[in-house]
Amino acid sequence: MKPFARFMVKSAYVLNGSHRYKKVKTFFYNLMENNSYRYKKYFDVVMVMLILSSVIILIREVKYESHDFLQFFNDYIISIVFLVEYLLRMWVYNDNSKIIIERYEHDEFLQREFSPLKAFKEILHVKFQYMSSPSAIIDLFAIMPFFHELRLLRLFILFRVFKLFRYTNSIRHLLSVLTHKKHELLTLLMFAAIVVFVSGVLIYVMEANHPNSQITTLFEAFYWSLVTISTVGFGDLVPKTEGGQVVAMFIIISGIAVLSFSTSIIVSAFTERMDDIVENKLIENISALRKFYLICGYTKTAQQVAAKLRRHGKNIVVLDNNVDRVKLATSHHIRAVVGDPGALASYAKLGIDFKKQVHAVLCLEYDDVSNVYAALTIRSMNKEVMLLSLLINQSNRKKLSLAGVNEVVYSQELVGMVAKEFSGMPVAFEAIHALRSEQSDVLTEEIVIDEYIGAQYRNVGDLCAERYRIILMGISPANGDAFLFNPKSHEPVGTGDILLVIGSNVLIKEFKRDLHVKKRRS
Amino acid sequence: MKKSALIFGYNEYARQIASQIASEYERVHIFVLDDALRQKAQEDGFHVSSFDLSDEWHEIERDYRTDNTVAFCTLEDDAHNIFLTISLRATFSAMYIVALAKDTEGINKLKIAGANRILPIVQITANLISEILEKPVVTNVLHNILYEDSEIKIAQINVVPGDAIVGNNSHGIAFKDTYNIILLAIVDKMLNTNFVFTAKGFNHRIEVGDVLVVIGLQEDIDKFKMHIRDSV
Repeated sequence: MKPFARFMVKSAYVLNGSHRYKKVKTFFYNLMENNSYRYKKYFDVVMVMLILSSVIILIREVKYESHDFLQFFNDYIISIVFLVEYLLRMWVYNDNSKIIIERYEHDEFLQREFSPLKAFKEILHVKFQYMSSPSAIIDLFAIMPFFHELRLLRLFILFRVFKLFRYTNSIRHLLSVLTHKKHELLTLLMFAAIVVFVSGVLIYVMEANHPNSQITTLFEAFYWSLVTISTVGFGDLVPKTEGGQVVAMFIIISGIAVLSFSTSIIVSAFTERMDDIVENKLIENISALRKFYLICGYTKTAQQVAAKLRRHGKNIVVLDNNVDRVKLATSHHIRAVVGDPGALASYAKLGIDFKKQVHAVLCLEYDDVSNVYAALTIRSMNKEVMLLSLLINQSNRKKLSLAGVNEVVYSQELVGMVAKEFSGMPVAFEAIHALRSEQSDVLTEEIVIDEYIGAQYRNVGDLCAERYRIILMGISPANGDAFLFNPKSHEPVGTGDILLVIGSNVLIKEFKRDLHVKKRRS
Repeated sequence: MKKSALIFGYNEYARQIASQIASEYERVHIFVLDDALRQKAQEDGFHVSSFDLSDEWHEIERDYRTDNTVAFCTLEDDAHNIFLTISLRATFSAMYIVALAKDTEGINKLKIAGANRILPIVQITANLISEILEKPVVTNVLHNILYEDSEIKIAQINVVPGDAIVGNNSHGIAFKDTYNIILLAIVDKMLNTNFVFTAKGFNHRIEVGDVLVVIGLQEDIDKFKMHIRDSV
């Protein structure tokens, strides 16, 4: 193999195996193309600001003398940013090293000599595919004002406005709606073009030689006919002959038809696609969430759980097969998607990263089969995520455990236990119930000793919980030892321990804040 | 403690209630609407009778002191359950009636029908689920204290005449340090208030008739009880 070809293949293998290179490329891909990437919106905002400032500078130049710095900013800085963006987009569009490797391995397999030229051609072909896409063409034109010596190219600044399409989702959605009805709109456009052409020619024939006529050239004839068919009717050109007026009547009626048809096509396109657009937007929102609880089945229990978790400031996503229940969840301001919790496709559609995004999955259908099926489906995708499920029939408890459910909640047993407790000690039960329901101002709370608190406070006495009228009921040690009830002041506290406290809501908040802010009282 | 428990209906909820409360009452009697359920309840070892919703409850009147009886209304159908509650209340004004409610709508109707205590199934389950998710340690500890055989117990102590603590202020008693128990709340019978939570910081003067709700190891609670009674 020739030295150049060898160098090319070697470089391709190095790049293909480099994690760092892939990481950088993925970062730029996410930044520019991945709508669910958290930082993309910041990139988009910066680009939109650059575009708007460029247009503002252009408008200012019309009446005022251009400022040197603004000129420099517009011609060089913005253009260079756009040029870099264009090149980056071209770079992340495909993987050249993969093309070279595939070509090389293909040639090796067929025992032919590797041809760098062919690989080059293939790369150019793919890159050309990118460059010939409408958005890439707009991007290219938007860089043009860089060559500011060519005055004409300054007009290309307007292409920067078209670049807005890239960064604003709503414009993209509008375009996708219109593309959906491309055929109908094209037919209508053809009809309108024919009417404009025919009536333009007719009005020219009727009017051009009339002494009082305002329409004397073919250009004026087409201009008049376009203004009339669009129902704008400036009134600057008016037919004077009877023949011309007949043509005008014909074109006015056609104009009404064209306008009403096009309106109805666009409206119907929106109605048909609106659900998709809303769902896509919702899925984008879900992908951008940092942490949430996933509820499978928006049953009555799920509704109450969701309401309670939302009061604690948690995000909820509902996945349910039942359209009515999804609508109900949406009316409760919860992100809800129609989908079968037992189908892998539903989760693929949502694009959820269980490890990073999901606190826990709650299978809350009133049907053990559905809950087991949903649990198994989730477990097949992720082994770690916490799974909680309702149990409807006691005999299915083991099946839920086998399906990988971590917490099983059996309402019947729970109600039995509650009945027992308040039968035996009604007052004590009421007290605990009041604490748990969080309806009174006093509540039980967990406080995790993090590294900072752990470093500041050595033992229970240092915490000074009693100053906040907080009852330290016990400590759940980080090492997994048994719960330490009513710890004495000399008992040590360490990072990872969890304090169980009872106190008024406000004072617990104050206590937590002071633990994080204040230094240990000596 | 009430002497007898009457459970109306026999489904999984009723079965669980009957099994769990058996140790708390001298008699547990199940009333069912049809023969199939009667047979099932008998097979499970319960004392069973039949009833229908138009009953005039002569059997209950004859066999039970209704002011010392708790009725659990656990019928499947909400409408039937509400009708049963109102019909029991119409006959027995002193009976303590506990009714299961499936949803919030049912809770209000059962209240109006005269139930003393309502067990809202969905709410109880949802509370537990959100607690498991948000406060797992609290859930575990409280669940063990309330329902499981844990070393730490919750107890209610009725303050009776002659108790050493009568007339003392709650802040003046070192519950935590001296007795190793936590005074969670006090129910003031005189003021007829719900709860005075210790964590609210009120310094309550303990009077006869108050109920102290304490948490601690069983032996410490026993020692405390002994101390306040014996030291007089």
